[in-house]
Amino acid sequence: MRLNEMSPGDIGQVRDMTAAGPLGQRLMDLGFYPGADVRVVRNAPLIDPVEIELDGYHVTLRHEEASWVEIEAV
Amino acid sequence: MKERMTVALAGQPNSGKSTLFNLLTGARQHVANYPGVTVEKKTGYFSDGNRKHELVDLPGTYSLTSYSLEERVARDFILRSSPDAVLNIVDASNIKRSLYLTLQLLEMEAPLVVVLNMMDVAERRLMSIDVAGLGKHLGVPVLSTVCKKGEGPESIKSALRELDEQKAQTKFRMDYGTLEPFIKRLSDALAGVGDLAKRYPLRWLAAKLLENDSAAIELVREQNVSTLAVLQEACSLREEFEKQEGQSADRHMAFSRHRACAAIARNFISLPGTRKATLSDRADRLICHRVLGPVILLAILFALYQIAIVWGNDLAAMA
Repeated sequence: MRLNEMSPGDIGQVRDMTAAGPLGQRLMDLGFYPGADVRVVRNAPLIDPVEIELDGYHVTLRHEEASWVEIEAV
Repeated sequence: MKERMTVALAGQPNSGKSTLFNLLTGARQHVANYPGVTVEKKTGYFSDGNRKHELVDLPGTYSLTSYSLEERVARDFILRSSPDAVLNIVDASNIKRSLYLTLQLLEMEAPLVVVLNMMDVAERRLMSIDVAGLGKHLGVPVLSTVCKKGEGPESIKSALRELDEQKAQTKFRMDYGTLEPFIKRLSDALAGVGDLAKRYPLRWLAAKLLENDSAAIELVREQNVSTLAVLQEACSLREEFEKQEGQSADRHMAFSRHRACAAIARNFISLPGTRKATLSDRADRLICHRVLGPVILLAILFALYQIAIVWGNDLAAMA
């Protein structure tokens, strides 16, 4: 499953992060690495962006960006 | 010990860098740009006894790659101006993520002092942090403060005084596992190129070249000797690693750093079993609610209108 396909309240663990270049670097720097815990907190009223709780802190991404993160449901 | 130190302030966004900067320097600060770029450079002075030190506020960054201007500026300052000390402000309530930058500062062999800020928030979340253990593990002074409440300047000044004695300590060294032999080979090759060995930490430079970091390649090219061979070596090592591991070196390094941060967090921080919803979590639940959110927004706007326009008008009419 991909991170953008998760619904608010869903939890999972990052399995892989497939973006390359600046976006990939930024996502890695923000803490999307294999094994990190994620929980989708909520979507904005007009869908984008989505708020994610990542390893105990909050990160907000566009769905397009979230689609590069592969999730394993736990 | 130097009469006048240059101290750089590094940290991730929202770690309390500016609060500490203002706390240390008071009103004596000067705002300019870093040479050639429109990134604000704040400098100020603070005194310790009769010594006066210069404090430079680096841009807040999550990492030290060369993808963004801010990160490049922060990195260049540490490399080229070689500050006498780097104060790394860490959000104590968010250590795991913050250490990601700390590990990179350690790789650059910066003379580091780690300042755990916002200890009050960490305590409120019932986190307990083994500050002494963390300092021993990292091999650098680690102190805890609550800058917002004015705590910090004295302990930071005394840590800076003792920094010279700390130099002998063995610092934490990031272990990149299967990438290590590649780093070793490349840094050996770099040692013979011009005066790179004198200017930059070779292990850091080798790691950055394996990440294919454009600014690091520039650093090598600046040398007045032929650098083609060593850059080709870097390129072929990078490809060799990717073929061997099925993963690029930059991803391998970022993931290794995160795993190291997670391991450090596990060893030196104890969290309460169940995480209590924080005040901002609870507020978000109401304010960002799909239905309740807009209702609250309208209520606030109505109240503002009522107070400023309607009551204000009544007040004006009375006068």
